[in-house]
Amino acid sequence: MHEFSIAASLVEKLSEFVRENPDKRICEVRLEIGELSHIEHDQLHFCYESITKETPLEGSSLKIDKVEAFVECPHCSYRGRPKYWDDILAGAPVVTFQCPSCGKTVGETQGKECAIKSVKFSQIQPVPS
Amino acid sequence: MANEGGIQATIEASPDEIYDIELEHSLLEANEKLAKENRALLDQHGTTAIDFMGAIGSGKTTLIAKLVEKLKDKMGVAVFNGDATTSNDADAIAKQNVPVVQIATINGCHLDANLVGKGLRKIDIDKVKLLFIENIGNLICPAEFPLGSKARVVVVSVTEGPWMVRKHPHMFLGAQLVVINKIDMAKAMEVSVEDLASDVHKLKPDIKVIPTSCKTGEGIEKVAAALLAV
Ligand SMILES: Nc1nc2c(ncn2[C@@H]2O[C@H](COP(=O)(O)OP(=O)(O)OP(=O)(O)O)[C@@H](O)[C@H]2O)c(=O)[nH]1
Ligand SMILES: [Mg+2]
Ligand SMILES: [Zn+2]
Repeated sequence: MHEFSIAASLVEKLSEFVRENPDKRICEVRLEIGELSHIEHDQLHFCYESITKETPLEGSSLKIDKVEAFVECPHCSYRGRPKYWDDILAGAPVVTFQCPSCGKTVGETQGKECAIKSVKFSQIQPVPS
Repeated sequence: MANEGGIQATIEASPDEIYDIELEHSLLEANEKLAKENRALLDQHGTTAIDFMGAIGSGKTTLIAKLVEKLKDKMGVAVFNGDATTSNDADAIAKQNVPVVQIATINGCHLDANLVGKGLRKIDIDKVKLLFIENIGNLICPAEFPLGSKARVVVVSVTEGPWMVRKHPHMFLGAQLVVINKIDMAKAMEVSVEDLASDVHKLKPDIKVIPTSCKTGEGIEKVAAALLAV
């Protein structure tokens, strides 16, 4: 379950932010995850919740934006969305690296991202003395 | 603008409001950086590393053992065995008298560049021309974690059934060579090797696909030749 490693490095980065900004509380973190990275969103949510339990990050919400795949063909001039393989056995359409224009192998230009995009936080009110 | 993943801007906040900051930071970057370092180290010593991925029991260890047997008298070879729990695989290869490093992963789902980097410090890399890395038997996780190898090989076997390529397309997109193993069992399993190969080519038209049997030895020579050519 590589989602665990990814959630762990996410929490590590956010904890760094919390340490540097002790007066701020993170309420939401937004990720960008590419269509070509094989990351189960539900698994990632689950791992994030379990790791952040009983930490200052507990209760913060994880939002995931999907990034579409784009490919480029070195054999012809095609640049654009990949060709999908619609196969009922696969469950959902499968991205292929077959050029939609000439049929040879393409390379990806976008869609492998797995990154933190932004963080929403609120200011913790100082306790009145 | 992505920089080293540091905080891009801080906003002075007043109470009772929610603030947003951009925080460009790749979560796979740490592994990718180490993979590049591994690759640089390997290149510097003229060593080619090949990463073998595939389901549990598809024949990764057996195939590597056959390749080692074929190549060890011609050049320096070494093997890294990723194994979640046991040292069975490492033991099987160590019998051939080549350097073997067993790499135990913590969560048992994939090797990462950090572990492979540690392995590289355990061998006399100058004496190794070809390094075989056996990843953990898993069809999903290893694809996300490059190790620094020059080529990634997927080993599928006919015993995994006729639909395994279309059910696990992800791993094939990042591979440079596909081995369809256990073809001696194809008939009994009623699985067509040609259909499996054609599924692979639907995903990646130019990729080389080699059918093998570690039992009869068929195709092993071709795999060795393909690896020496990467
Ligand atoms: N009939 C037949 N059996 C094979 C072939 N290749 C491997 N096997 C058998 O398949 C079983 C699993 O092989 P391994 O090489 O251990 O597979 P692996 O991919 O390394 O497995 P894990 O490391 O557990 O993921 C063993 O019993 C092998 O003898 C083959 O070409 N034909
Ligand atoms: Mg093995
Ligand atoms: Zn093309």
